[in-house]
Amino acid sequence: MLAYLQNLLVLFSINAILALTLNFIMGYAGIFSLAQAVFFGIGAYTAAFVALNYTDSLLVCMLAAMSLSALVSMALALPALRVRGEYFVAASLGLQMIGVTIFSEWKSVTGGLGGMVGIPPPVLFGYTFTSITDFLMLAGVILAGILVITSLLVRGSFGRSLMAIRDSESAAQAYGKSVNTVKTLSVAVSAGLAALGGVLYAFYMSFVNVEVFTLDMSILLMAMVIIGGTGTLIGPVVGAAIVMALPAALTYLPFIPPGELGTIQQIIYGAAMVILMMYRPGGVVGGRTKGKSA
Amino acid sequence: MKRLIVGLAVFQAMAGVAVAQDLKIGAAFPLSGANAEYGEIFASGANLAVEHVNADKMLNGNLVLVYEDSQGLPTQGVVAANKLINVEKTPYVLSAFTGVSKAIAPLGTRNQVVMVNGGGVGPDLATLSPYFWNVIPLANFEVKTMAPYLVKDKGLKRIAMIYVDDPLGDAALQEMKAELKANGGELVGSFSIPAAAQQFSGVAARVRDTKPDAVYIATYGNQQVQLVKQLRDNGVSQPLASYSAFSTPSMFKLPEAEGAIFTSQHINVDNPDPRTKRMVSDYRAKYGKDPNMYAINYYNAVLTFADLAAALQKQGKPVTGANLLELRKNTPSFDFVGAKVSFAEDGTVKAPIQVNEISGGASKVIKSAQ
Amino acid sequence: MLYLQLLVNGIQTGALYALIAAGFSLIFGMTRIFHAAHGATFTIAGFVFYEFYAVLEWGLMPSILACAVAAGLFGVLLNRWVYVIIQRHEGSFFTVFAASFGAVIVVQNLISIVFGKGMVTVTTSLSRSVELIPGLYVAPMAFIAVIAAIVCFALLHYLFTHTNMGVALRALGENPGLIDVFGLNPKSLGNYAFLIGSVLVVPAAILTAATSGLNPAMGHHVMMISIAATIVGGVGSLRGAALAGLLFGLAENLSLAFVDPQWSEAVTFIILFLFIIFRPGGFYGRAIVS
Repeated sequence: MLAYLQNLLVLFSINAILALTLNFIMGYAGIFSLAQAVFFGIGAYTAAFVALNYTDSLLVCMLAAMSLSALVSMALALPALRVRGEYFVAASLGLQMIGVTIFSEWKSVTGGLGGMVGIPPPVLFGYTFTSITDFLMLAGVILAGILVITSLLVRGSFGRSLMAIRDSESAAQAYGKSVNTVKTLSVAVSAGLAALGGVLYAFYMSFVNVEVFTLDMSILLMAMVIIGGTGTLIGPVVGAAIVMALPAALTYLPFIPPGELGTIQQIIYGAAMVILMMYRPGGVVGGRTKGKSA
Repeated sequence: MKRLIVGLAVFQAMAGVAVAQDLKIGAAFPLSGANAEYGEIFASGANLAVEHVNADKMLNGNLVLVYEDSQGLPTQGVVAANKLINVEKTPYVLSAFTGVSKAIAPLGTRNQVVMVNGGGVGPDLATLSPYFWNVIPLANFEVKTMAPYLVKDKGLKRIAMIYVDDPLGDAALQEMKAELKANGGELVGSFSIPAAAQQFSGVAARVRDTKPDAVYIATYGNQQVQLVKQLRDNGVSQPLASYSAFSTPSMFKLPEAEGAIFTSQHINVDNPDPRTKRMVSDYRAKYGKDPNMYAINYYNAVLTFADLAAALQKQGKPVTGANLLELRKNTPSFDFVGAKVSFAEDGTVKAPIQVNEISGGASKVIKSAQ
Repeated sequence: MLYLQLLVNGIQTGALYALIAAGFSLIFGMTRIFHAAHGATFTIAGFVFYEFYAVLEWGLMPSILACAVAAGLFGVLLNRWVYVIIQRHEGSFFTVFAASFGAVIVVQNLISIVFGKGMVTVTTSLSRSVELIPGLYVAPMAFIAVIAAIVCFALLHYLFTHTNMGVALRALGENPGLIDVFGLNPKSLGNYAFLIGSVLVVPAAILTAATSGLNPAMGHHVMMISIAATIVGGVGSLRGAALAGLLFGLAENLSLAFVDPQWSEAVTFIILFLFIIFRPGGFYGRAIVS
């Protein structure tokens, strides 16, 4: 029983990390990305590749994953941020689809559709993370770390610039804010930190394949951020918990045929998105006003 | 957050109320999502087996099969398997879909729980773990049978192959190349398709270009149905051949699939042995149609457990994963529905393969296994 | 000959994409609403046609009518019941987009409950191709697709240039602020935009039902093409979106001569990226650079 709950918590932490990092650009910078799953994937595949071929040092894997993810995100951000929001959405959608194709086809690196099995456990300062409790602690530390980093960034001048840009780009520019640099940096931060979720996932499952890095996952992450509430720190965490708890909660409703559980779950969070946007755009946590303060 | 955890725990406590001496086994099937159709088929076979085991009183106490939804995805599969292993404490779990199987195999090894696959045929399923067993012969075997059949029995020497770009497709391609060469045939073209593709007119054009005698298809799910339809629509009139994945209702229903041939495990539903007879007639009575290979596989998987568990109980040993594995290694053969099989050291079964043809919305055997 | 075949396939696919993209572009250009649920309109249209024609066997014309009514109704109702309410208090791009996406998810799953998650097709002999010249197989469907596209665009052109409503719609797209001044009602014009834009998916939906088949998740691909085509064609230009749709259809098919099919979807997005980098305005539009 304990192991089951611990498993859920580890997966919850990973989702929370991804949702938090997505919220960083969606809620605070007003940049809408459908590609978060790709950065999750880059983190996971990089960690797996490095661990299987070079070293199982946790720090090295994390560093490699974060750098690669940030780099790729800049390839997305630099051209797409010059123009309006809709363009970034389309470009991120494009990156998501191309990303999935690359994950599935680059067999020598990603194992293609078969994925990579047998990823060794990570080692940090001589300590090997094997048991589920180990992973739970690691997940907790990373999640807490990201919360702290996000909070610091948001409350600092970087965060203020971000929110200024979100609320009115031309005004921000008039005040001398370097709009493009700030936006690009925020995308890089978001992608780099999301990669940490991927690292955690790869080591915990000891198996990665493309099925979990698809558009469906990006949409799910967006749902978590929206339902929980954008522009607040704990909003995405709450959103992640709600969306994850849905399937388990639904199993206890006797009148739903088991074959339709996943479908009903999706209908509920789809409808939640619609209704929340109509009456409570701040999400569960944010309330009526959307993304006012940190 | 704390409230959530407490809530979940309360739910758990209220849920399973099985009697102490009942034996529980688990199943991590896709009960929802894109592959729920398969989950239903798998479950139909497994449930019938549980009924029979309890009706025959094969075990001390009732056999209970607990289902968890894997949604056909690796992460969900891990959650489902975790629940079965850590909460329901099942020593034996039925698994399905290669991605899910690969993700949960480490859990089986770590917790010494047996996991049995009856649906996926990717060759990488053979090497996952000593606790991971396969009651379905893996795809390469099927190609070994189809290739000589096409070349020698039907005189179709030039084969074009369309395969999904994953380990299954890749393995099938390698086997096909080798087998065609060995039997005097020729692979005139091979075309890989992405797993999510839905449009095949371009592929059809390229297949036509190679002027094959027959076309071999190695993919699965919705995609193979669309592929067959579009091949026919786009002027590919040559005979179509494939492996056991063709054995689904949507494929049988498709008018364009008429005449297609496919290999499958030797399932002689008219086999006079009592297990087969009973399974087939009860299945027919309950569902109004013959059981397909997937239903039979999961029926066999449950019966394997029952056979092993009954033997362990007679010996007075506890029914744990480790004991089940040990006993299996020492059991020379099992009476599966349709054929007698034995497990190889790596947990795969060798079963004779037959060739079937889709005719009039159903399949019929055109070459039975040697 | 392979190229010719792929070219013909490309034109058929491109004609359908052009129609769908034009619908999306119309709605987005006129109302500035990022109607991601356009893919859901397509899915609904396809399945309604399937239900009426293949299951209930109502006959071709009534089924087409039912299909058009369903599509148009969905678009207009979504606008009236969801988008308008959002625009009343805030209407930022984000909220509309999120709501639209939520609608897509709901529709997709509702359809899969009713129709199952597998693929369904409408069987018709029109999808069987005939060998016109050796090596070139074309189905009657291809011709129907191209003719349907041409007819629809001709109708649209007539609508926009020769009717009051059409002119009013163009005005709405160009300068929404001035609409009130001229005594026109932006709300009802918005509804018209949704109606026309949504009905445009009907030919494509019907043709897809007969050729590649329908499944509840097909809206995603359609939505992506619509968005990409609108950008490549230039925001605000219907002609551009249609051309871009045609371009994508051609690219998807012609690329098969050079690369494995895995990459044909990626080709569409590589084109999109190239346009965003080098010509964000697309074919005809003006890029709104911040």
